[in-house]
Amino acid sequence: MTQQFMIPVLLASLLLSACATGVQSPVVRFDRQVNYGDAKSVELVTNEFGSSDLQMIAEKMVGSLLETGIFQGRPTVTISTVKNKTSEYIDTTNVMNSIQTALVKSGKVRFTRAITEMQAGVDELQRQNQSGLYKNKTTAKVGQMTAAKYSMEGELTSIVKQNNSTKDVFYKFTLKMFDVEEGTIEWQDEKEIRKTSKR
Amino acid sequence: MKLRNILLPLALALTVGTAMAQSGTPTGTPAAVAAKIQLRGDANDLVIPEIRIVRRNDVMVVQADMKNTTESNRTVFYRFRWLDSSGSQVGDGESWKQMTVLGHQIQTVKSVALHSSAVDFRIEMNVETQ
Repeated sequence: MTQQFMIPVLLASLLLSACATGVQSPVVRFDRQVNYGDAKSVELVTNEFGSSDLQMIAEKMVGSLLETGIFQGRPTVTISTVKNKTSEYIDTTNVMNSIQTALVKSGKVRFTRAITEMQAGVDELQRQNQSGLYKNKTTAKVGQMTAAKYSMEGELTSIVKQNNSTKDVFYKFTLKMFDVEEGTIEWQDEKEIRKTSKR
Repeated sequence: MKLRNILLPLALALTVGTAMAQSGTPTGTPAAVAAKIQLRGDANDLVIPEIRIVRRNDVMVVQADMKNTTESNRTVFYRFRWLDSSGSQVGDGESWKQMTVLGHQIQTVKSVALHSSAVDFRIEMNVETQ
């Protein structure tokens, strides 16, 4: 009787394990040493500035900007400085690139060339106008660039505290949008992030 | 007798398998709210009593309250998924966020759609016990 009951249970277990195994993925490899992961996953490898921090900052800033309605009339914006005041090496351009990408995709704002992007623009204008290679009608005219109404300035700071067992890092990203002509702050927001690790 | 002995464990296995495949709903969450939640696994006594939706300056703004009904802490992993009028996802999708909800605490999560074409949303989430 026990044997009669055990056989179906074993069959059922086999069925379950077969379902769990699933089909083979369409990849070429010998083992599972390398895998592509979800780029949007929460990264918890160390408590240094990471991809999740960058993504959370960008999402918060873009959401806040769009929510306030400051972009009524699709104004022009340029990116000024982004200071990294932490003790870590962080490419702050990456944060601003993510913010800019999301804002451009929203269709609510136009970005003009930032200071760091200006030389490439000037070089292209000079090439079109001074090389003598192009038809006059098709060349981009000098002095026709649209100036930015607003300028964005950011700052990333951190406070680090640690003892024998715990390390606590507090990051704060502040973003301000200035009216270039008037010099006034028209919008400002912050994103705070706390990361704690135990040894 | 033999047939019943075979069918009972098989039915049990299929039930377990189906339950594992389907996403659950947080117990105690209103049906209208639950329709917006894509829960993976067990809610672990986390309830979403209310979601507030407004359209501000042409973009959707959503706030959801997450209530821990137990004394022990819960870790929630969540993200908002924005949908357009055809039910297609808008944009690349948000990053996952981790949040601790202390015992008997209510935490509010907020998100803003990054495009005016977003008219609906889902909150993808799973809850871990600490």
